[in-house]
Amino acid sequence: MMIHSQATQSDRLLLRIDRINKAYGGVQALQDVSFEVGRGEVHALCGENGAGKSTLIKLLTGVTRPDSGSLVMNQGALPVGNVRGCEAAGIAVLHQESTAFPDLNAIDNIFVGRELRAAGGFLLARDAMRREAAELLEQLGESIDLTVPLGQLPLAQRQMVSMARAMSCQCQLFIMDEPTASLSAQESQKMLMLVNQLKEQGISILYVSHRLEEIFQVADAVTVLRDGQYVATHAVEDLDDRKLIQLMVGRELDELTVRQTISQPKSDETQKPSTLKVDQLSRQGIFQDVSFSIAAGEIVGMAGLVGAGRSEIARAIFGIDSYDEGTVEVNGEILPSGSVARAKHVGMAMVPEDRQHEGLVLPMSVQNNLTLANLRDLQDFGWLSQTRERGQAKRLIADLDIRVTDPRLPVETLSGGNQQKVVIGKWLASMPNLLILDEPTRGVDVAAKAQVHRLIRELADEGMATLMISSELSEILTLSDRILVIHQGRIAAEFEGATATQEQLLHAALVGSAP
Amino acid sequence: MTRNSKTETSAFARITTRREFGLAVLIALITIFVSFFDPRFLDAINLRDILVRCAPTAIVACGMMLVIVTAEIDISVGSLMALTAAAMGIMLSENEWNLSLWIGLPATLMLGTAVGLLTGLLVTVGKVPSIIVTLGLLTALRGFTTLMMGGKNIDGLPPSLQHAAKQGFWGIPLGVWVAACVLVMTLVIIAWTPLGRRIFAFGSSRYAATMCGLSEKPLKLFVFAYTGFLTALATIVDVPRLPTIESGIGLEFELLVVTCVVVGGVSINGGRGTLLGVLLAVVLMTMIRPVLTYLEIGEEAEKWTKAIQGTLIAIAVIGDSLLRRRRRGGPRS
Repeated sequence: MMIHSQATQSDRLLLRIDRINKAYGGVQALQDVSFEVGRGEVHALCGENGAGKSTLIKLLTGVTRPDSGSLVMNQGALPVGNVRGCEAAGIAVLHQESTAFPDLNAIDNIFVGRELRAAGGFLLARDAMRREAAELLEQLGESIDLTVPLGQLPLAQRQMVSMARAMSCQCQLFIMDEPTASLSAQESQKMLMLVNQLKEQGISILYVSHRLEEIFQVADAVTVLRDGQYVATHAVEDLDDRKLIQLMVGRELDELTVRQTISQPKSDETQKPSTLKVDQLSRQGIFQDVSFSIAAGEIVGMAGLVGAGRSEIARAIFGIDSYDEGTVEVNGEILPSGSVARAKHVGMAMVPEDRQHEGLVLPMSVQNNLTLANLRDLQDFGWLSQTRERGQAKRLIADLDIRVTDPRLPVETLSGGNQQKVVIGKWLASMPNLLILDEPTRGVDVAAKAQVHRLIRELADEGMATLMISSELSEILTLSDRILVIHQGRIAAEFEGATATQEQLLHAALVGSAP
Repeated sequence: MTRNSKTETSAFARITTRREFGLAVLIALITIFVSFFDPRFLDAINLRDILVRCAPTAIVACGMMLVIVTAEIDISVGSLMALTAAAMGIMLSENEWNLSLWIGLPATLMLGTAVGLLTGLLVTVGKVPSIIVTLGLLTALRGFTTLMMGGKNIDGLPPSLQHAAKQGFWGIPLGVWVAACVLVMTLVIIAWTPLGRRIFAFGSSRYAATMCGLSEKPLKLFVFAYTGFLTALATIVDVPRLPTIESGIGLEFELLVVTCVVVGGVSINGGRGTLLGVLLAVVLMTMIRPVLTYLEIGEEAEKWTKAIQGTLIAIAVIGDSLLRRRRRGGPRS
């Protein structure tokens, strides 16, 4: 474990993160994390989804407190859990999601909470604020209309205003969370130039990003987190793409991952007819030219970073969202865009990412949830048959081993794993031939996870075509016959499930092409 | 990556698409139309009458505007008006306690403010949605009022107060003076104080406000207390114009005030709206009844007033919704 040598000398040390632990409702988001950031240093923070980066940012900005451990800035402890305190201590942040006020203009966005005052503190010093806002934006090289509500400005300009706010705080540590995620190449370059500008002013940057090329362009040091734990810190000169990805993925894994032998994936190459055929699917700004097919009995895994567009592609295929170009064909029938009813009609089912809000009606009973997707089958002359409903629920509970004492209990009382089984069960009852799964085992305990994996494999063996989106590379590798990696809305690479490695997948997800 | 070119629209386009412009044009057109029909509409007496009618609505609308900007609502102001009217009557009437104006008026104002504070506490500390709190108060306060009045009407208010409310000073009734002051005061709060800025910030994005360290309690307590105060104030300047105080005072007043605020361009989701728009909406809504009278629609006028007001609010809300979708753009880009 190499620690960046510059930072250990106390006068060059700006921030020390010491043995931080933070858990959120049973999940350990950060575990015993320690590292240091030097003065005037651009320090990149890398890690897969769920590595703990957002949690760390929340701690540093005072939004939450750590369960244990300390954050020391300039030899003084940070006022944890206190947003204004952390701001006063010199920490500013550019969030991934806009924290701008869409109805206020640029001046107010910069100053709200720290307004410049006049007349004994009661009134606003409006002219002074306008002048300073104009100055700050000029320094950033932007000329923005100061009177327009921010919601009407393009994203790049909104981000500039956020940066101006951070700069007006006289910060010493500027945290940038995926600052170029939604920017064009040109705007990204401009952002990087600004980063250098800030560095020249002596400000340290904590640069959280998935864009490896940017990290290598602008960072001095890189810290890698994985599954909430600290992995390593290296000077950027000592790293390259491969090494960095290896750190993010973990060295304990073999080159060939271990596949659980539940049932061997299909190895015969007989040309099966495609159940699903997606051709040149595009939606402006979200995904582009997505083409692939899934045969009956095949499991296709979809890997990629959060925000790459995987869920959006799935939702477009299922009809929840519409798309601009391309076609979706199921068993030879072309589907109209944006119609879930038609998708269901041809035998599609989708288990959504957010089961609590999109997959279940929490206050409703387990039984009622299990029958929501195929109520039409349970009707007698337009009246819902209670007996048939109960019967279907009972069968599904038995088949999927859903642990519930009484099916009439509200589904919110179930554990995550069992809730997920309810969602899957609900959709299975509609007898689909194409099943789309979005993060099927997120927040599910180990035992239930294994059950769900087994279930997915069994369904495939019986002929179900499956599209599985997952951020867990091991899960993708375990179950998929083929793997598509999505990068910024496009299919970056395709791999055979049997031979792919986690490193290959992560490389494609981060960089946009196969290694 | 779509570039939003809204900032490049002409100044003309930007003015004419605003709600305030539409309202002003509407008011002007109606005025012109009616005065062709009956020139007496433009007489000073009539104009003064319209202004006096506007006064209580305008006063309370200033507070309601801030409440709605923070994405809350207060539908109890009508009942609070009745309560404060009854309290004022009991304190000041020569048939009741017959206290001095110097005691009775401040006490009435304090009562209004106190009820407003109670509402604010229930919403912020009690975490009860404001629609529920004020719905409950709507009924409770009205019930209290009936109890207080014991089934009788109250008359005998001090003549000086009645005169000020009806004739006023230099020909302008008290209500209009007070409304003007309240409008100026509210404008200062909105445009010139940190408090006003934060109220709008909070309504615009609660998430961003929390990230900036703003706390909701002081803001919301203020807007509800302010509204309570203004309701009591409106009662003081308006109720003495009536011959007696009945328990039915202020019935449906809250609907009128909320309508004016929403038609005036304040978004029900919070964060947006101008005082000018609200003022114009108050004038527009209030003038409908007199206009219908001058157009000699007679007894039918009552029914048509409500229908027209209802249509205006529907147009306002739908229009706001459509504009909002265009303005905010599509997905989070």
